[in-house]
Amino acid sequence: MTRPSPFSVRGRRALMVMRDEREISIVRRQLNRLGMTISEHDPAEAPPDEPVDVIVMDADTIPIKSDLATLWKVGAPIIALIGTETPSRLKWLLDLQPASFLIKPLRSAGLYTALVVAFDSAQRKIDEAAYIERLEDRIRSRRVVFAAVLQVMRGHDLSEADAFTLIRQTAMRHRTTIEQLSAEIIAVGGMPNRTTRTA
Amino acid sequence: MMAGEMLKSAVMAIDEINQSDAFDFAFVPHLRDPGGVVSAYHTACADLIRDEHVDHIVGCYTSASRKQVIPIVERTERLLWHPARYEGFESSDNVIYVGAAPNQHVVPLVRYMLDHISGDVFCIGSNYVWTWETNRVIREIVTSAGGRILAERLLELGETAVDHIVKEIIDRKPPVVFNTLVGESSYSFMRALHAATTRAGLMIPMLSCSLCEPELKLIGSAASVGCLASSAYFESIEGSENHAFVARWKARHGADSTPSVDGQSTYVCVMLLARAICRAGSADVGAVRHAAANHRYDSPQGPVWVDPDNNHCFLTPRLARSVPGCQFKIFWEADAPERPDPYLSNLDLTAIGTRPEKSNDAISKRSNHLRVVK
Repeated sequence: MTRPSPFSVRGRRALMVMRDEREISIVRRQLNRLGMTISEHDPAEAPPDEPVDVIVMDADTIPIKSDLATLWKVGAPIIALIGTETPSRLKWLLDLQPASFLIKPLRSAGLYTALVVAFDSAQRKIDEAAYIERLEDRIRSRRVVFAAVLQVMRGHDLSEADAFTLIRQTAMRHRTTIEQLSAEIIAVGGMPNRTTRTA
Repeated sequence: MMAGEMLKSAVMAIDEINQSDAFDFAFVPHLRDPGGVVSAYHTACADLIRDEHVDHIVGCYTSASRKQVIPIVERTERLLWHPARYEGFESSDNVIYVGAAPNQHVVPLVRYMLDHISGDVFCIGSNYVWTWETNRVIREIVTSAGGRILAERLLELGETAVDHIVKEIIDRKPPVVFNTLVGESSYSFMRALHAATTRAGLMIPMLSCSLCEPELKLIGSAASVGCLASSAYFESIEGSENHAFVARWKARHGADSTPSVDGQSTYVCVMLLARAICRAGSADVGAVRHAAANHRYDSPQGPVWVDPDNNHCFLTPRLARSVPGCQFKIFWEADAPERPDPYLSNLDLTAIGTRPEKSNDAISKRSNHLRVVK
């Protein structure tokens, strides 16, 4: 699957959670110019269910000590519009993990950069999550690999290092993962006959 | 851009300047009252600059209104003279901040609480930026000194249903209550707490960074007594400048009338502006900003001058106790005007709770946080 470039924003869906009419008109105009789909949402209401690609949120409009304050951890990248720089406000904002931010008052310049940074950082987050999941899978299968190494050490009278090298090279030759091959070694009680599966 | 107490003080200052030989110009005030409607401040400010061609704007009380005005004064290179104390974390080249920064009003009161009352505090406040940020500062200082925030209760702005919180306070008997409620919420709370503590035979100190004399009258004589307040101005400040100021105020507004911290600060704004124009020889914003920097003015609240590093003012922090007659009796003031620190960059938490003059108590680190034992 090809990843969407963070620079191409046309057609992506933006949710505006803002109150100030002047600021709203600036953001709306820029998002329209960029060809994005826009929906607007009252900051006093709970987050909507509709899926969006980015949320443009006026951070000053949501009371930090309210039920609403935590509901915005919805997953879509957030561009925070910041007026108040007090640490109490910024702490609330950090909890939402904004993907990027703009300082109010807004100008026409800046929003595109904020969107690109937001989309890029959201994509990196997805990539990192997938990478971490792969690593966690490998950690989980360490027990299986270890058991397979022991099996090969005993069956072929090899040292631990040589047994692991054999498994690794066999896995490479058969175009499978070490973890997958290890599972098969345990299942058949020795190095499987993989001739049928070589490419 | 103002109304009420602030307007009375601004007009008084303008009249004095226009009648004084010390100034070779006269102020022509253009008044706008956006009435606390946040979005109206932007329009009012734009109108003043476009239609009336004003260079200097005095006013804005809330931070929300000030933040509406800042973009315009920055874009058009005008100067906003802001009289109200606020929570800090801002510093615009186009604003002169004449009200107290957090190191000048919140920090001294929290220090006093730790040293003389308790490190365990019950916080109640209005649900907006002033309370959030004040509570954060309190929490940071108190916890670094080994104290605890016993509760943090918030009421929506204007809410006057306070009984559930008063009941909680009576039940839990905290050693001290820190009140950052504003307006009617605060008055209702203080009346209800006074009635409840009197009934229960309790004596729970209440602290505030915003309480002023006109509010004591609104709360009522009994319930308003005994509160500890932090402010750069109280009517009871000794000194010829303040005595003369209060006398002029009463001659103008009646013997029963009382200047407030925000009113006095508005007066100081206008005076600082006039004196800077005088020194600059013009009302040009750049020249006035330059002339105002470090120029000492002996105001009703004592010496005041603008710190050009951050455009906030050197002010003298004071602590006072409210007494019968809707007045404050000052029991502590800083030795000299204190440098403004809007970002609390110089707040040394390690120095709080282990203060050198108390270190020979030799009992424990907490020994200087004396509890009121009943």
